[in-house]
Amino acid sequence: MFLNPLDLTTALRPSLLPDETLLFVQDAVGLYEGKLKIPKYQNGQAYLTSHRVCYVDQTEPRSCSVAINLKEVERPEFYAGFLKSSPKITLYPKASKQLSIATNPSPTAQGTLASATDGHVAPATISPVNATWVCPICSFSNPVPSNFDPTAANARTPLPPCLACGIKPPLAHVIKAAIAAIRQAQSSDGTPQYTAGAPASSTPGTVPCPRCTFQNHPSLSACEICGAPLPAAADKRLEAAKAITRAESPGPFSQTSPLGHEITESIKLSFRCGGEKIFYERLKNALVQRKWLLQSAPPIPKPLPASDHVNMSAGLSAATIQASGASGLSKAIGIAGLERRHLEQTKNNEAVIGTAFSDLEALMTSAKEVIALAEQFANQANIGNNGNHNREAANAASALSLITTKDMLGTGSGASDLYISELSRNLAEYLTDDTRGILRNEGGIMTLVDLWAVFNRARGGVELVSPSDFEKAARRWDELRLPVRLRRFRSGLLVVQGRDRTDEKTVASVLAWLRELHSENQGQGQDREVSWDQRTWGRGVTVQEVAERFGWSVGVAQEELEMCEEKGAVCREVGLQGLRWWENWIVKDPVVHSG
Amino acid sequence: MTMATDSSTPNSDFQFPPLYNFPPFFTLQPVLATRKSQLQSWSSLIQSYCRHHRLWTLTLVDALETPLFNNTKLSRRLSLRDARAIIDWMTTPEGDSRAEWIPTTGKKPSRSDEYSEAGKCWIYWKRPEEWASALEEWVDRTGQKGTVLTLYEITEGDATRREEFWGMDSTLLAKSLAVCVKRGKAQVFGAEGSEGVKFF
Repeated sequence: MFLNPLDLTTALRPSLLPDETLLFVQDAVGLYEGKLKIPKYQNGQAYLTSHRVCYVDQTEPRSCSVAINLKEVERPEFYAGFLKSSPKITLYPKASKQLSIATNPSPTAQGTLASATDGHVAPATISPVNATWVCPICSFSNPVPSNFDPTAANARTPLPPCLACGIKPPLAHVIKAAIAAIRQAQSSDGTPQYTAGAPASSTPGTVPCPRCTFQNHPSLSACEICGAPLPAAADKRLEAAKAITRAESPGPFSQTSPLGHEITESIKLSFRCGGEKIFYERLKNALVQRKWLLQSAPPIPKPLPASDHVNMSAGLSAATIQASGASGLSKAIGIAGLERRHLEQTKNNEAVIGTAFSDLEALMTSAKEVIALAEQFANQANIGNNGNHNREAANAASALSLITTKDMLGTGSGASDLYISELSRNLAEYLTDDTRGILRNEGGIMTLVDLWAVFNRARGGVELVSPSDFEKAARRWDELRLPVRLRRFRSGLLVVQGRDRTDEKTVASVLAWLRELHSENQGQGQDREVSWDQRTWGRGVTVQEVAERFGWSVGVAQEELEMCEEKGAVCREVGLQGLRWWENWIVKDPVVHSG
Repeated sequence: MTMATDSSTPNSDFQFPPLYNFPPFFTLQPVLATRKSQLQSWSSLIQSYCRHHRLWTLTLVDALETPLFNNTKLSRRLSLRDARAIIDWMTTPEGDSRAEWIPTTGKKPSRSDEYSEAGKCWIYWKRPEEWASALEEWVDRTGQKGTVLTLYEITEGDATRREEFWGMDSTLLAKSLAVCVKRGKAQVFGAEGSEGVKFF
């Protein structure tokens, strides 16, 4: 199948395969199958990765997104657009196996015709081949051109002249002949055994001519007597194809789901907001590079032989070589074994780095290993320094695969907008990534500034995001329906939190805690006399207590309390002991009996 | 004139509302909805307190030391600023015009004057109009229509000892009678200091 289902991340971007890299993104793209638009796939984002072309719909991203594997693409074709028609890139599928060969031969005309028949592909496929028109001048029987479509023909359709006298026929004449031929084919289709059964019932091994009924030899492609093309030759191949195709696709253009049926023709991407040129360039490059081959290919020469080589060149003793050559894990025992392994490892690393940096070409091919090494070194350095404090930084390499850079996006009018929305998705992914747990570590809430710092650090110092872009991206979370949200406190402080953490929930949790305090052990505060009825009123809490209780920073706790106050859930008391927060009884019990 | 500091007639202990024992009640809340509710609670507390103790005016500076604004049990007290804000609110139509600042000098006070000067105010647990109605009702009830009453008789006389307006501040009484006159229910005559009033 040419169109594949696509997995999306939480931020509604395609989830990339291992080693897959994102090359380009363009929005406002529509999909065509052959010449026809695919319904529901008309406005979305096209992602070009090193392995795939992905389409993610704008409105129905979960249900309407597909991917085309680049390895199944025969060739791309570029159409620059004309007047109101948008530029398009056509992807032709590779003719895989006999299946597509059989269904491929004349792709243009049959679609509309076949849909009129009772679902049989074959008769419609042959009928125009069989049709003839009789020249009104010399009465010679000419074949109707195979690509002639009576429903689509008009005055400008080129018509071949009569083969005998060279005079062009009138259009209506040819159309009539073609339609008559189709009808004939359909009625003959009513007797299904016609083609298949004829050889069996009449002389075995002969094929009757459809026009003059002469029994021809089966290997002939045209009638010996009248020259009419014989159906059998074409039929035999089609018969085999029919048996396969019908099972899964009853109608050639059943447009329900593009995933369900075989794409016989091509898929077009229509670029309604530009970006097609860069997309095409990068697509061609990706097709040339064929990164997907690397996945299955054996890894680039492993360091072990290389290390041997290095060892030799370094002039080490023969014993070491032998040992390393015959080295198995079983041999490495005890501290000596560990040391030896460490030594070998070091040698390997030397070799890898040595070969990688010998020239640019080599560096590119062994990029993966070099990155792995660099990461490992970074980890070691971190262990030496401050444990996992720099975990985010150590994750740089993995974050790199996620990043959206301005470079990936087109230069069209909507490019900067697209950059922001992609960055926004990128951020959401980064935040919700469970392996990092950024939000969780911060008690589910963190300031935007903190996030900006952490995010840029995770980007490893390349393609840093400017604060203004960052803020814009964060503001689009709501619009893009992503699982995180940006919140502005009254003081103007911007924080990031999960979408499920609403103000109501915060208020409820704070109130629940304050209610618990009603029944709190009275003896707890021996140091200070509780002069009010704690059973009724509970107790006032300080900001510090709240921050400690909920794992927030003091600033956030302050803001949250003020938010609760705003909602009328708590009230404040300014006294000698500083600011304390109470459950709001002032509103709940406003009636003071008069008199 | 009964001074707020007098609080001379503690015939029975005043029953404070439950909120009086809620510590944050003594901090004026910044949030609008809560604040409004709090102001209402304070307003009714002040009114009922004044009614209980037969107070007609409050002098804020002195009143702050009274149990009204100072909860010694909780060791919480209302600050002068907050108390002013509450009285201010009570003077507005939103606060039901239950208070009125008393200008210290004859001239019309500007806002800043009110704050800088003594900060004395009427507490209208009944507004002059309501007092006027009460007086009319009393006259009607006791059949004194057409008779001339002295103001002293109304506020200090034995006949009115059981009435709510007994001991009323003379200025307030004059205000209330003025309302009656306006309504055409009474007529005030006589010289300054020995006025009489006739209801009809």
